[in-house]
Amino acid sequence: MAASREVCEKVEDIAPLPPRSDQRRDRTAGFVIVGGGIAGVTCAEQLSALSPDDPVTLLSASPLIKSVTNFRQVGRALEEFDVEEKTTGALQKACPNVRVVHTQVRAADTDKHHFQQKMANARRVVIVGNGGIALELVYEIEGCEVIWAIKDDSIGNTFFDRGAAEFFLPHLTAGKCEENKPLKRLKYTVTESSSDSPKKGDTAMGGALGPDWKDGWRMKGKHDQAAHRVQVEYQCEVQEVLTREEFTRTGQTAECFPGTSRAEEQNDDWPVYVLLTNKRLYGCDFVVSATGVVPSTGPFLHNDQFSVAPDGGLRVDDHMHTSVPDVYAAGDVCTASWEPAPQWFQMRLWSQARQMGSYAAKCMVADRDGEDIDMDFCFELFAHVTKFFNYKIVLLGRYNAQGLGKDYELLLRCTKGLEYVKVVLQAGRMQGAVLIGDTDLEETFENLIVNGMDLSPYGEDLLDPNIDIEDYFD
Amino acid sequence: MPENRSYNDELNFLDKIDAHTWRIKKGFVPNMKVDGFFYVNDLLEKLMFDELRQHSRAAGFGGFLPAMKQIANVAALPGIVKKSVGLPDVHAGYGFAIGNLAAFDMSNPEAVVSPGGVGFDINCGVRLLRTNLDERDVQPVKDELAQAMFDHIPVGVGSKGVIPMGARDLEEALEMGVDWSLREGYAWAEDKEHCEEYGRMLNADQSAVGSKAKKRGLPQLGTLGAGNHYAEIQVVDEIFDDYASRRMGIDHKGQVVVMIHSGSRGFGHQVATDALVAMEKAMKRDKVLTNDRQLACARISSPEGQEYLKGMACAANFAWVNRSSMTFLSRQAFAKVFNTTPDDLDMQLIYDVSHNIAKMEEHIVDGKQTTLLVHRKGSTRAFPPHHPLIPVDYQLSGQPVLIGGTMGTCSYVLTGTEKGMEQTFGTTCHGAGRAWSRAKSRRNLDYQEVLDRLAEKGISIRVASPKLVMEEAPESYKNVTDVVNTCHAVGISKKAIKLRPIAVIKG
Repeated sequence: MAASREVCEKVEDIAPLPPRSDQRRDRTAGFVIVGGGIAGVTCAEQLSALSPDDPVTLLSASPLIKSVTNFRQVGRALEEFDVEEKTTGALQKACPNVRVVHTQVRAADTDKHHFQQKMANARRVVIVGNGGIALELVYEIEGCEVIWAIKDDSIGNTFFDRGAAEFFLPHLTAGKCEENKPLKRLKYTVTESSSDSPKKGDTAMGGALGPDWKDGWRMKGKHDQAAHRVQVEYQCEVQEVLTREEFTRTGQTAECFPGTSRAEEQNDDWPVYVLLTNKRLYGCDFVVSATGVVPSTGPFLHNDQFSVAPDGGLRVDDHMHTSVPDVYAAGDVCTASWEPAPQWFQMRLWSQARQMGSYAAKCMVADRDGEDIDMDFCFELFAHVTKFFNYKIVLLGRYNAQGLGKDYELLLRCTKGLEYVKVVLQAGRMQGAVLIGDTDLEETFENLIVNGMDLSPYGEDLLDPNIDIEDYFD
Repeated sequence: MPENRSYNDELNFLDKIDAHTWRIKKGFVPNMKVDGFFYVNDLLEKLMFDELRQHSRAAGFGGFLPAMKQIANVAALPGIVKKSVGLPDVHAGYGFAIGNLAAFDMSNPEAVVSPGGVGFDINCGVRLLRTNLDERDVQPVKDELAQAMFDHIPVGVGSKGVIPMGARDLEEALEMGVDWSLREGYAWAEDKEHCEEYGRMLNADQSAVGSKAKKRGLPQLGTLGAGNHYAEIQVVDEIFDDYASRRMGIDHKGQVVVMIHSGSRGFGHQVATDALVAMEKAMKRDKVLTNDRQLACARISSPEGQEYLKGMACAANFAWVNRSSMTFLSRQAFAKVFNTTPDDLDMQLIYDVSHNIAKMEEHIVDGKQTTLLVHRKGSTRAFPPHHPLIPVDYQLSGQPVLIGGTMGTCSYVLTGTEKGMEQTFGTTCHGAGRAWSRAKSRRNLDYQEVLDRLAEKGISIRVASPKLVMEEAPESYKNVTDVVNTCHAVGISKKAIKLRPIAVIKG
């Protein structure tokens, strides 16, 4: 970065920015980014790398997400790796042309401290939702009974199929194993508020969470035993949430948690009662709603010029342009509206937010310079790596045969408690795969999907555990 | 292709030459121009014949031919010279078996080049860095060092490189190989010396590479990927050849080294795939016949053949830039943890070898010096002492050959020999032969409930079920020690050092 700073100063000397009619004391914004989540921060970092002379202003209502092991430009004179930086100033320090502005904050409903307090005294909690956060919560929470209400007929619907859900069910009740393995990807954390935030500690938590959101969160409830006690309620939603008084007035009886006697249940004094649409009524200490992402398009909808997709996101084309000139969108806020590659589709995940943020920066710079660029390769193949119930999960391409109608077949290999491998084939060609456990197949399958190789000669032998398929296609 | 012969009939074509060598006679498969040979010890021999037996019983795996058949099918390719060779780690692969070596006479207009003889992961290879650290120094900070390596080197599917690179940089790197890394400051000048081809194939031409390959390659440069690619922090476990080891800067047990095993990622895969498609089309035009569709190939002098060789050279250069980048990042990781410089740690590159590549080389055939296109898939060049193409510091000891065992098991360093030059065009094995997956046992059990839940009307679900059980064989894969010892016994390479891993970095 030293080299860039030098150049920056020289440019200022010999070619200062021309005066503008509306010039104020502050720097004019070359690029403005709204949102301090993964898409926004990745975009700012990328812009800084591609165009270090241009001012970049990043507006954020919530604390900035920050990649902790933040590796910047690797040049002849290698800069240090930042290992632990938690202040808002970190981004500015690393990218000197980026300025962060915290917008007006509003009072928050909850934050980490609040959650932990409630959790420490909880004997039972109701979790609503079937996405990534809900899945992680169900696994992480210990010493507490969990009622898990999902509107689907199997858990983890967005990520895996019913077969994989069946694979995971036994693990809902198994104990957690503490593992201190090294982390193999970029680590993200949330910056603590700095002195420029108007009200310290009173920040909005509506910001993006990223993959490491639960680091440092204590999720242990009141009960002693560490094992999970989870009861899944399928195909239902929350009909009503009642206070104790309201519950008493209804005269209904609450459901017992499996393993609890009716007598014990009747003596329990719950502060909150939840009536589910399947007519079951449970008492609990509190309810967590983890029902998914809603694009935060509020400020932009006042302007009718934005084309909005049915799911509420701002439509973008294959260069991340919205319908308004010079305005780009990336991450959860946008809806990909180009004709996607055969094995790619949008899913509101932190990994896609990062990819889009980075690509948006490239598009912004290319447009400014009048250049034509190709789409990043990450949009050719959907790929997401995550972990649930301590199993590695890799999702590739159309892993649930999304969009293939009935015109596909599946290959399966499964060993209880160890691995689950599912391959989606169409006309002999691999379209997607779900890999759970340490299968070591992800690289090979990524290649087979992208190469479009005809795999019909192999039939189901492709997944035969006796063949080292990864080595075969090396 | 003839119908399945009985196993006993197949045996009529197989001759045991000596304790370690078998010959596959012409006629084992149609159109063989030369004989096939393969090297084994007792255990490896058993595995080879078990595989053949299962195939004859039609209990073998449909799309997967036994290695013996593949060696023979390669012997049927036009322009092949002397023999088709299976190294001790030979096992089934796409087209050529992995560990199948074959050389083609470039002056013969019929001679072909085959992408299956190079592999999809073009220039998949291994390099070894030494350090002046000892195991004692590293054990206490082992976890920190592993995390530092992970922090520096992106791993896993979807990971992106951290070394800044645009489309134009990529094109330069494809043509310049390690010279690009050197220019950008990621490699040391001495690194170039200690690499096959000096880390750059000169006939590389980036215009011979399709845009899809470039798109795949761009974000992946400097990444380790997943699967059998890994970086290992290793320790010298045994020294067999004191002189050769000292030439490499290894002088005591417990010395710490870093082994990096990786290739050209999606870039190589795409170059190979594009070539296979193009060549299949041209085969009819040029009247090229093979026994196996997977052996798609083209006359070396044809436009498709030339295009592939140029593209393959780009992929080779990509892999060298990739390994150079990871070398750079590893040096930084170590420097960081030990709070010093890579220089002070003496993190020199011992050598870098390729084990999926085709090379134009001079060899003596029938007493005459001939230019051959040597296909080494899953095998490693092993040039002897005094060979002009190896660096000055190894002129007396011979070219170092790096053999990565299966990740997590031991690795070896060997040196090339004269006998290898005569017998196998200066080639030896590349690692463990994973004919049968290590994971074979205890897989695919208790899946009925899962299957029931997955079932959907109108969708066919097939379950991979193990059709056979390998009786008796205690270990059903060709482990690296057996393989290396066999090469040593045959005399095509010499053992120098044995290495033991203490930390593994992989996706």
